[in-house]
Amino acid sequence: MSALQKLLFWRSGSLKKSPLQDRQHQTNNPAFIICSVVLLLFDLSLIDTVIGWISLLVVCSVVIRFAIYFAYQKHIPSLRTLNLLALLSILGLVYSALPLGFLLGMVNLLVLACALKLMQVRTQRDYYQLVVSLMFLLGCGFIFKQSIVFTLLYSLLTLAVLLSLAFFHAPKLRFKLQLQHISLLCVQALPIGLLLFLLLPQLPPLWQTPKAKSAESGLAEKITPGDIAKLSQSSELAFRATFETRAPAPQERYWRAIVMENFDGKSWQVHPTRKQTRRFQQLTQQEFSPVLTDSYIDYDIIAEPTQQHWLFALDIAVPRTTKGQAEIWQSDDFQLISHQPLVGQYQYALRSYINALDKQTLSDLDRQLNLSIPQYGNPRTQQWVEELRQQNLLDKDFINALLKHFKEQNFTYTLRPKPMFVDPVDSFLFEQQAGFCSHYASALAYSLRLGGIPARLVTGYQGGELMAKAKQQQYLSIYQYDAHAWVEAWLPELGWQRLDPTALVAPDRINFGLRQAMLEEGSFLADSPFALARLTNIALFNELRLMLADVDYNWSRWVLGFDNQKQQDLFKAIIGKLSPQRLAVLGLVIVAIIALLLTLFFIPHWYVNRLNPAHRIYQHALQLIAKVGLQRASWQGPQEFNHFVQSQLPETCWAPFNTLTSHYMQLNYQARQSQNDLSHKKRLKAMCRQLKLLKKQLNKHAVNET
Amino acid sequence: MNIISQKRVNKWLDKRIPAANEFHLDHRNIFIFPAKFGALYLLLCMLLFLLGTNYQNNLMLLLCYFLLALFLVNLLSSYVNFTRLAVCMGKVPEIYAGDDATLNLWVNADKALKTPMHGIVNLSFMGHKVSNWFDCDGFTNPIALNYRSTVRGWQQLERITFSSYYPLGLFKCWTHLAFNTKVLIFPKPLPCQIDLVDTPHVNDETSAAQHSVNKSSNSHDDFSHLKAYQIGEPLRHVAWKQVAKGRGMLSKEFSGSEHLSGWLVLNKPTLSQVENALSKLCFQVLELSRTNQQFGLELGYTRILPNSGESHRIACLSALAQYPTTSNNAGTH
Repeated sequence: MSALQKLLFWRSGSLKKSPLQDRQHQTNNPAFIICSVVLLLFDLSLIDTVIGWISLLVVCSVVIRFAIYFAYQKHIPSLRTLNLLALLSILGLVYSALPLGFLLGMVNLLVLACALKLMQVRTQRDYYQLVVSLMFLLGCGFIFKQSIVFTLLYSLLTLAVLLSLAFFHAPKLRFKLQLQHISLLCVQALPIGLLLFLLLPQLPPLWQTPKAKSAESGLAEKITPGDIAKLSQSSELAFRATFETRAPAPQERYWRAIVMENFDGKSWQVHPTRKQTRRFQQLTQQEFSPVLTDSYIDYDIIAEPTQQHWLFALDIAVPRTTKGQAEIWQSDDFQLISHQPLVGQYQYALRSYINALDKQTLSDLDRQLNLSIPQYGNPRTQQWVEELRQQNLLDKDFINALLKHFKEQNFTYTLRPKPMFVDPVDSFLFEQQAGFCSHYASALAYSLRLGGIPARLVTGYQGGELMAKAKQQQYLSIYQYDAHAWVEAWLPELGWQRLDPTALVAPDRINFGLRQAMLEEGSFLADSPFALARLTNIALFNELRLMLADVDYNWSRWVLGFDNQKQQDLFKAIIGKLSPQRLAVLGLVIVAIIALLLTLFFIPHWYVNRLNPAHRIYQHALQLIAKVGLQRASWQGPQEFNHFVQSQLPETCWAPFNTLTSHYMQLNYQARQSQNDLSHKKRLKAMCRQLKLLKKQLNKHAVNET
Repeated sequence: MNIISQKRVNKWLDKRIPAANEFHLDHRNIFIFPAKFGALYLLLCMLLFLLGTNYQNNLMLLLCYFLLALFLVNLLSSYVNFTRLAVCMGKVPEIYAGDDATLNLWVNADKALKTPMHGIVNLSFMGHKVSNWFDCDGFTNPIALNYRSTVRGWQQLERITFSSYYPLGLFKCWTHLAFNTKVLIFPKPLPCQIDLVDTPHVNDETSAAQHSVNKSSNSHDDFSHLKAYQIGEPLRHVAWKQVAKGRGMLSKEFSGSEHLSGWLVLNKPTLSQVENALSKLCFQVLELSRTNQQFGLELGYTRILPNSGESHRIACLSALAQYPTTSNNAGTH
């Protein structure tokens, strides 16, 4: 506990009032105000991550700082008060952050520490600790937010922290100048930082990272028909897929994610037996390898964070790169599973074998799992399937008969199905006859199992928006509203077959996407009326939306997704072959470039005349006059020397010097405000003119003398 | 051991930054090294790197590298800023041993720089705690630096350390400057009775006592009247109470203070009493000068003929300050 308290207050007993400057810095230095604003904005940006009462504490400390700055309040809260507050806060934190896990706990602890530190900053040391913790917090912010907007925000906040540091060391400098200096420093540091980023080796994770426990998003591992309808109200991005060649046609874009084999009469979920075997296999490092065929397509996927393990892929897919092979695990039901949960964006390269699904075998376990049916419930369906099965002894006929039912009965596709609580399949098939993809898939899979055909529900996404530009590779953006559910059934002679009853009921959903399918009902994204995705019929908005999506895509692909592989590609592009000598040369060149950049930044300071321009011109004029033999004595002021010159030289010579001197004196000794007659620049120009004239006249004078 | 290394450092410094009247900072006399905060900052970068690598978070890595690059850039920028400092020593005031005095430093006094220096500059004597500071963006020359010496006589000023952390506090730029100014420290005045002797050549103590004009310390300000103040009169004669009452600058005239004259004599003190006696003499010199009396000073072989006025006072004080070492400085034999 005391260690924690130390962490919060570092040196809580620091009453050592050393240099005078501390007192000066404290009273009304903008540095503290800037720090408090940064902390507040950071807190707001992570408002869903930071615990409520800690946010409240942040607001309190910011208010205290503002009160002190604007002199509403003279004193910082006493150390004793703050220590007590810190102790209480630690207790509170232990209580409320322990269940959150390491990462969130750490972020909350840091925010809390910053807030308390902000309240009690007294010495220079306190201030430096505050600044370092703030910077570290900003860095941590990137774990949670990686979009362009937040990156911009955090960059600005970093700039603000630097600005605050500058104010701490030069409290009286004007804000504008301060900003100029700091921006200049940042602009100079940026290219060097980028070079370092591009060329320093990208290391693999050094140790297992503690996971962020936050709300899982996207598909769930258990589905009750109707759930996906909720997901379909979200226009959030799920993932993007970049194709090496052409993207498959819309009706081929079935992105498998989760295979559900356990049906309890109401909802589908991943079978517990599957989970167990999966865990066992992962422990013993066994991996399923599917039967592969020749035709395949290659593509990269950038998945948005889901906090879950499963990945998206078309049909049967295997990872293409060694990195992917190490990180992705293939399960018996052809699911791709990442070893790490997707905390941030995750990029992986896949090769999908399109026609391979029906080549896979059915193990005994598969058969057993995919035929199990709940003992009770849905009696009408059971009866109906039994009759239908007696009429169609061949599996194929039976399936066709089932599908015919969906086609010929008056089924409708809706995002607003009525709730079905008792015997949902019965109710859906024979009463409501209106539902969403999961209703259809669930009903079909259940019926197939009743008829003795192994079948399972697969959830994932269907479709995606094709973004294609002339010079760019094609890529698909798949949104949450593309979530879909379909059926896979196994037939002895045909193998695994994908059956999608939704395609029969609402072909538009498959061919043109959900937006088109919901045109009549008007329920597409009905809950979010201002989503840009709803406004596609307004050309301007649509273009804007597509442009933003494109920028975001490139950001994800090239900045967030820059990894070891891309770095090596970059090296290869620069130096051709990756041999140790060449890499060494490259390293040296980088060091040289950085040194060169630094020199470039500071050459002006070494070469520029450090005097101000007016002074420089005047000195020049003095040198010219000294050549004629008139030296300005150290006791002579400009005015006095001017009189002296007048007495020694002809008027043609002293007249320009006279004007030059008067301009010089105006510029140097007159207060800025009273310069209403001539502007600063004009005076300087006039001085230059007079200098030229003086030079000419003095030359003439010298010629005449000789 | 410590003293030896200190001596070495001093020797090296004397070679590197020889004493001068005026300094313009450049690469020869600037030292630069990461400050404590700089070390903390590097630690932060390392943490960001570890976290960024472990979370495979490019933005965090970018931030880390950017901060590192900033560290490099800051090295040069803080150096460049510090080179804009120019210092010279102002006139040294009268300093009495054991007194708190201030030295006047003139910073960037006659230089009209295109890009002025920024930030706070800390001042101290080398090896001492920071005793003063000024903000380059708003200060008035001269800058005062507290100085205290307990020993009288000629003193070489210690090196003065200037340090700056601008712009980000990551680097400390500093310099130890030695000024050519030697400081003469007068003895500490010790209040006592004024003891004026008629003739300096008295060997016998009793006769000296007979001839001494004993004046009590308050007899010299036999105030006679007020007259209008004239420029050049000592400020201590001004009747400040009258000024405060708004009656204008009036100066006090003292009766009988001008025509009296005598000698202040150092009477062969024992070694242990020398400082005490000098301090007392110092007080008497100050008092007599304050009342504008004529007096002479005899210190062993040094003798200053009776006189009055500012230069006389300084001459006497200097003689006192240099007592054991000087024999031919400001006096006549």
